[in-house]
Amino acid sequence: MALPDVATAVPPATFVLIAAVVAAVGNRRVGHLTGLVAALLVIPWVLLVPEGAHLPVTFLGFDAVLFNVDAFSRLMGFVFGLIGAAAILYGLYSGARDRTVTFALAYVGTSLGAVFAGDWLTLVFFWELMALTSTLLVWEDGGPAVRAGFRYAILHGIGGSLLMAAVLWHYVAVGSFLFAESAGIAAGVPALLAALGIGVNVGFVGFHAWLPDTYPRPHVAASVFLCVYTTKTGVYAMARAFPDGHLWIAYMGTAMAVWGVFFALLQDDMRRLLSYHIQSQVGYMVAGVGIGTALATAGGMAHVFNHILYKGLLFMVVGVVIYRTGKERLSELGGLWRVMPVTAAVFAVAALSISGFPGFNGFVSKGMVTAAAHKEHYDAIYYLLLAAGVGTFLSFMKLGYYAFLNGEVSHQVSDANRGQVVALVAIAALCVLYGLYPDPLFAMLPGEGASEAHPFTTGHILEGLALAAIALVVFVVIKKPLKKIPALPDVDAIYNPVTFYGTRGAVVGTTETYAAVDRVAVRFASTSAWIANHPREAVQNLLVGVGGRSPADGRVSLRAGIGTSVALVVALGTLVVLVLSV
Amino acid sequence: MSEVPSLLPVVPVLIAALAVPAILALRRRPNLREGATMAAALLMFGVVAVMVRGVLGGDTYTANLGTLATGIEVTFRADALAVLFGLLASGLWIITSLYSVGYMRGLGEHAQTRYFASFAASLSATMGVAFAGNLLTLFVCYELLTVATYPLVTHDETDEARAAGRKYLAYTFAGGVLALAGAVLVFWLTGTTDFAAGGIAGLASDPVAARVAFVLLIVGFGVKAALMPLHSWLPDAMVAPTPVSGLLHAVAVVKSGVFAIARVVLDVFGPDVLSDLGLGLPLAVVAMATVLLASIIALRQDNLKRRLAYSTISQLSYIVLGLALLHPTALIGGLLHVPAHAFMKLTLFFCAGAIHVETHTDDISEMAGIGKRMPLTMAAFAVAAAGMAGMPLLAGFVSKWYLVIGAIDAGQAVFAAGLLLSGVLNVAYFWPVVYQAFFESEDDHDAKPLIENALGGTRDRADGESPASGETDVVPDGGQESDADDADARDDADIAGDEPDPAHVDHVADDHHGGPPTGGWAVSGWRGGESTWFMLGPILAAATGAVALGLVPRAFVFLRIVTEIVGGLPGVTL
Repeated sequence: MALPDVATAVPPATFVLIAAVVAAVGNRRVGHLTGLVAALLVIPWVLLVPEGAHLPVTFLGFDAVLFNVDAFSRLMGFVFGLIGAAAILYGLYSGARDRTVTFALAYVGTSLGAVFAGDWLTLVFFWELMALTSTLLVWEDGGPAVRAGFRYAILHGIGGSLLMAAVLWHYVAVGSFLFAESAGIAAGVPALLAALGIGVNVGFVGFHAWLPDTYPRPHVAASVFLCVYTTKTGVYAMARAFPDGHLWIAYMGTAMAVWGVFFALLQDDMRRLLSYHIQSQVGYMVAGVGIGTALATAGGMAHVFNHILYKGLLFMVVGVVIYRTGKERLSELGGLWRVMPVTAAVFAVAALSISGFPGFNGFVSKGMVTAAAHKEHYDAIYYLLLAAGVGTFLSFMKLGYYAFLNGEVSHQVSDANRGQVVALVAIAALCVLYGLYPDPLFAMLPGEGASEAHPFTTGHILEGLALAAIALVVFVVIKKPLKKIPALPDVDAIYNPVTFYGTRGAVVGTTETYAAVDRVAVRFASTSAWIANHPREAVQNLLVGVGGRSPADGRVSLRAGIGTSVALVVALGTLVVLVLSV
Repeated sequence: MSEVPSLLPVVPVLIAALAVPAILALRRRPNLREGATMAAALLMFGVVAVMVRGVLGGDTYTANLGTLATGIEVTFRADALAVLFGLLASGLWIITSLYSVGYMRGLGEHAQTRYFASFAASLSATMGVAFAGNLLTLFVCYELLTVATYPLVTHDETDEARAAGRKYLAYTFAGGVLALAGAVLVFWLTGTTDFAAGGIAGLASDPVAARVAFVLLIVGFGVKAALMPLHSWLPDAMVAPTPVSGLLHAVAVVKSGVFAIARVVLDVFGPDVLSDLGLGLPLAVVAMATVLLASIIALRQDNLKRRLAYSTISQLSYIVLGLALLHPTALIGGLLHVPAHAFMKLTLFFCAGAIHVETHTDDISEMAGIGKRMPLTMAAFAVAAAGMAGMPLLAGFVSKWYLVIGAIDAGQAVFAAGLLLSGVLNVAYFWPVVYQAFFESEDDHDAKPLIENALGGTRDRADGESPASGETDVVPDGGQESDADDADARDDADIAGDEPDPAHVDHVADDHHGGPPTGGWAVSGWRGGESTWFMLGPILAAATGAVALGLVPRAFVFLRIVTEIVGGLPGVTL
């Protein structure tokens, strides 16, 4: 059963953006409910709409395709709608305001617009709008979130500019923006710029510090939305730009996986820990895209799907903890499993999923990426990704231990409320379902890679269990020393001051230089005007200065007599003749 | 492409010119007087619209009004470039007149008759510039524009206004003299100053003289186009009433400067000749420097109108850059930026004016939380600011898109990089105004301008108290306690700010009493209770224009006109 052809004229972003407008004028309930309906509607729509490049238009004078349906975009649309619905439900029951849901729906809508774009112009168009709407979503909470949102906006402005440069350079090289006209981004400068520009969104090492800077700041419900859309649209764009992968991108993905995990382990703020994990897990996806084989790409995209589910779940779980206790840091929490058993159980599911424990969804997709690396004999990538897996287990043992297990609860805390439980349990169930029975997911993956995936071989399962065991042992050993290590500064400790003071230097330098030039010019002009108005005094001053004639020697006469005048005219005339004859 | 002899190009000039005595005669009947302005504006727009249809159909209207002396002919011509500017200026006169009514009456301003009469005279001169058929007619109307705008710049009649007016005259008349010299040189080289698409034949016969002529013309017209270092009359001219700043200094006066440069590049010299003479690159470098330096200076301005003035200087050079790259796509981008920037900048100035009328606030540092008091205004401001940064849905995105393609295609990717950097700088100096309006409050906000205060922000209170100790930003793991740096940074800022800096005058008006009232901003709803619809209507109209140009530039006619201009150049296939 497929949707009738008229459906090809309505990209799914439409429903969500209309819901955003409704949320803008309606109250909190109306906004959330409309958004929920719209997000849920997206799911069957993207699964049933016929494949193809629909809505070809001339946009801004260029050929564009507004609604492109293939395996990649279907997968993205499906999971975006799914998590969007869960996040909206969660937000409704977690105190999200109507402004929050308005901006969130606009953000979800523009993300859907981006992943269903059939050409680079439309993709960049929605990419920039995503940056704008997510900035609004961050700002919405006020307080410290505002300045963080400003930094976020600047960095994403730079990333968007790099991607724009890449796309436009690609256009000059190829002559079209359409995906169908070329496989990926043109090689050379466009490819480099695209990798860097998309790299800002996905959190390349060096470009990633906005993740831990921004995501922990706004309302807990906003964080759930934020953690999903920007980074995964980035992975999608990377897959579109580099359909055959690129080794340096694979290396960068591996570096991301390791860096993210290392910093995550040192964090005390729960949402900061999760944000570093976004970088780490996206590293797996980027590595998959970078390796470029069918299995690797399929694995990367499968990981996009699974990660959205369990990362959204983790932010929701941590959000419930913050919502109920008011505390954001592990050092201030403890013993919550007794008073929040449902939340703790869901946390366990999510933690096992992200760590890649057999039986949960992360195991399947991570396994595909590592298997692909192993198959292509990229040993460094393979072992580093495994190490990052151990690190992931470690950080979630830390999170679970200090939040839920260790210590006593200081005062009475309630568990998640009904609406939150529905959202949490639904997504957790999907994590388990796709972990035990990944075939529906495999059916949606692009390319042939899914057929090469064998997640449940004994070898793989043992590998997963071994990583968990190693991590457990390591955790027991380093638990105490880990508490003593302070959180290390990240790259933004360098680039924030450099950018700020550098810009200030440029600003002050420019204005002060201009002021100096202006002063000189004004003094010159006023001196000239004075000389013109007071010629006698001017000559007098000159003679006093040069000759030694004192000003009391009588007034200087500036009138020339007849003889002097004739002499002057003849001299001038001679000079003119000489010049003209040259 | 057929030449149609017709008096149509002269009609807009005459309509506005005849409006002047009508306005003066109606000085005792303010409503009728304003009605005369509106009638003239609507009529003028209608006539220009008729010409647009004809031009898009391939006709060019010419009117030769006779010869004053040998070689000095007065001709008016409506071709694609002329109707681009003519349509824009006449259309925006309509909404600016409405806005002027709200503004002038809201402030109870003096000498309103003189104001509206000068405005009409300025528009008449602007139409003359737009529809001029040769360099000399252009020059005459250009100078008349300066004369007509002087009473508007010095409207306030304070010492500061008079000083600004003197500076304005000094700069623009000096520029005019140089432009005249250039025009004479062109005549001497070719025997005519009539515009011809693709350039006047025979101009390159003497390369040295041609280069000198180009430099003279560009420097002469570059004063009004606010090329650095000829720009400094513009920030000082912000002392004028806001509708004047808006239309004239964001649309008509400065656009006449870039329009004249466009005529010089396209219809006097022509892109081919300029690239043979190697003149494109120096002009592009000057334009690029202006774009970046003006944005950098804007970061430091506290007065909103001065910040907008430096933004104008920066954005005008986008147009000059597009022209200087001499590549068809870049030309499209640059010419499209003429209406794009006009709509966006006009919205911004209108918002600044509305804020001034309603709250007497001029400085950004006092505008925290003003989104409660003026939500529609600040929303329009946010939309236009996003457009300045080149965000999609808005006109700035479209022109930037074409400009960057043109720069890359012409092999000058460094200018593309500069344009994109400018977009980021625009975000840096506009976003703080937007976010503090809606997401910060009078009691708790970052001190502005951001670059003058500490890294990470200095919390500020509306009543001037210094930030409470211990009230630093939430410092998550990996962040830095900025306490130790705060004191040093504030000292540095003080030292830098101590010297009186002509580029950094804070208070444009003497009677400065802005900021939130005690008790905070009053909350207005989103239904327009914040101000009069005479001001809100034009604000929303200009913002809508910016969005329309960003979504459907061809249907909104301007991209079609621009394509017609560039397509009409010989040797260009689009």
